Amino acid sequence: MTIPDSATIMELREASYRYPDGSRGLDQCSISFERGMRTAVLGLNGAGKTTLFLQCNGVLRPQTGKVLLDGTPLNYGRQGLSNLRSRIGLVFQNPDAQLFSASVREDVSFGPLNLGLSISVVRDRVEQSLAAVGMSEYADRPVHALSYGQKKRVCIAGVLAMAPEVLILDEPMGGLDAAMQAELAAVLDQLHDNGMTIIIATHDIDFAYQWADRINVLEAGRCAASWHATELPRVIDKLKRFGIGVPKVAELHRHLVDAGLAAGGQPPRSHQQLLHQLAALCQVQ
Amino acid sequence: MLIEQFSYSNRWRQVHPAAKSVFTLCGMIAGFLAHSPITASIMALLLIAVTCLGARIPLASYVRVSAAPLFFLLVSGTTLAVSLGWQGGFPWLCLESSQAQLFAAAHVAGRSLVCLTALLFLALTTPLNDLIALLRRIGFPAVLTDLMTLCYRTLFVFVEATHDITTAQSSRLGYASPRLALHSLGIMVASLTVQIWQRSLALHQSALSRANDGPLCFLTPDYPAVAGSLFVGILAGCALIALAMVRI
Repeated sequence: MTIPDSATIMELREASYRYPDGSRGLDQCSISFERGMRTAVLGLNGAGKTTLFLQCNGVLRPQTGKVLLDGTPLNYGRQGLSNLRSRIGLVFQNPDAQLFSASVREDVSFGPLNLGLSISVVRDRVEQSLAAVGMSEYADRPVHALSYGQKKRVCIAGVLAMAPEVLILDEPMGGLDAAMQAELAAVLDQLHDNGMTIIIATHDIDFAYQWADRINVLEAGRCAASWHATELPRVIDKLKRFGIGVPKVAELHRHLVDAGLAAGGQPPRSHQQLLHQLAALCQVQ
Repeated sequence: MLIEQFSYSNRWRQVHPAAKSVFTLCGMIAGFLAHSPITASIMALLLIAVTCLGARIPLASYVRVSAAPLFFLLVSGTTLAVSLGWQGGFPWLCLESSQAQLFAAAHVAGRSLVCLTALLFLALTTPLNDLIALLRRIGFPAVLTDLMTLCYRTLFVFVEATHDITTAQSSRLGYASPRLALHSLGIMVASLTVQIWQRSLALHQSALSRANDGPLCFLTPDYPAVAGSLFVGILAGCALIALAMVRI
């Protein structure tokens, strides 16, 4: 479990939530997210990732425990929720569940208009956020004429237009081909470079290891582990127990080192970095 | 879907929807005022020409889009033109008509044809989104425009879901016989019902997460030369009404 400090922007303290049908959402879950970090939340299906994100955005309220923003418990009043949702943006897993309007530009304007911003500000924000996700030329297209990946980008633009401090994405890479995943990762990197805190839920531990600063593992509604991404190669055996897989590049690097075919030191985070290390080793020899 | 496709790709896509709506309204009024079936037919041809030549809708596609309503118009026009009567001998029932009845039927059919072509002009040149935005701007009740927005969006979501389900069912011989088809149809309806419920919950959560706690608000699109296009729309509409008064 992470220890909250001044860098913590959002935190859940022993939060529990059960859905009306009795199914478990969260169970005494304690987890925190640090400002300016790229955090990946890993977990099997039904581990509670979506419930956790809905709690962070104030859509669901914990039945026991607390959700804190900047160290202060959330205010679930009308003004408090409006303030929370302007700071914490949530992109849902299924774009068809998030897109309201059949027009791209209209849909992106939905969030900022709800914040009570003036029309001219909303227009600027809509254009800026569509440009940020590379969808400016699709602004006048109908939503139903877009591909799945393009719809995902429109969803992100719709949340970016609210200018949140924290962007939460639920399974952003799900259903995207490799090229679209690379494009989306570039968009996320750009946003992070601009100072945004980004939290994503994913099943792809290779992507999480390569992209994230911090990795949290959810299991049965609880945060079962939290590591800095660079620690993952040292906890491969623990990762195997969670059933979420292990970063292949880290595992391969360990075997190469054991076989004396690669140098020790800081393990590579990506396939590309491993190739560079091997190429450098070949040159030395 | 053909209507939808042309509404986004026609030459007058960027003309203000109010101008196109006013022209359509005037066209419908002109249809009701049409003095004779010939006048009505001329106006209908004019509206088709405006749609196909002005907005660049291919005539073949126009015919395809209008085939279904024209069929209904033909059926209703025929039932107006003839009536059932009795005769002394076998087969007792007969079809009757008169000059006056034929004229009345042609007049009503002509008027309907003008209304149909006027509405097709609007449907083929203006996306429904733009019309909903126009209704919002002129103060239509928010609850109705919100419903229209959600229905329009979810229509495409469920068309896609229906397509996916029927494809999956067909691939497992779900429609191989009439009995199986009925069974598959039932399963699909049940599945869609559950999906509608889940989807509505997801949309509600999505609205909440984007700080919504009241009516759905969207940015109204901008159009170039609003006053000019409105003026042209009104002028063209008035010309249609004037034409309707001409005795031919």
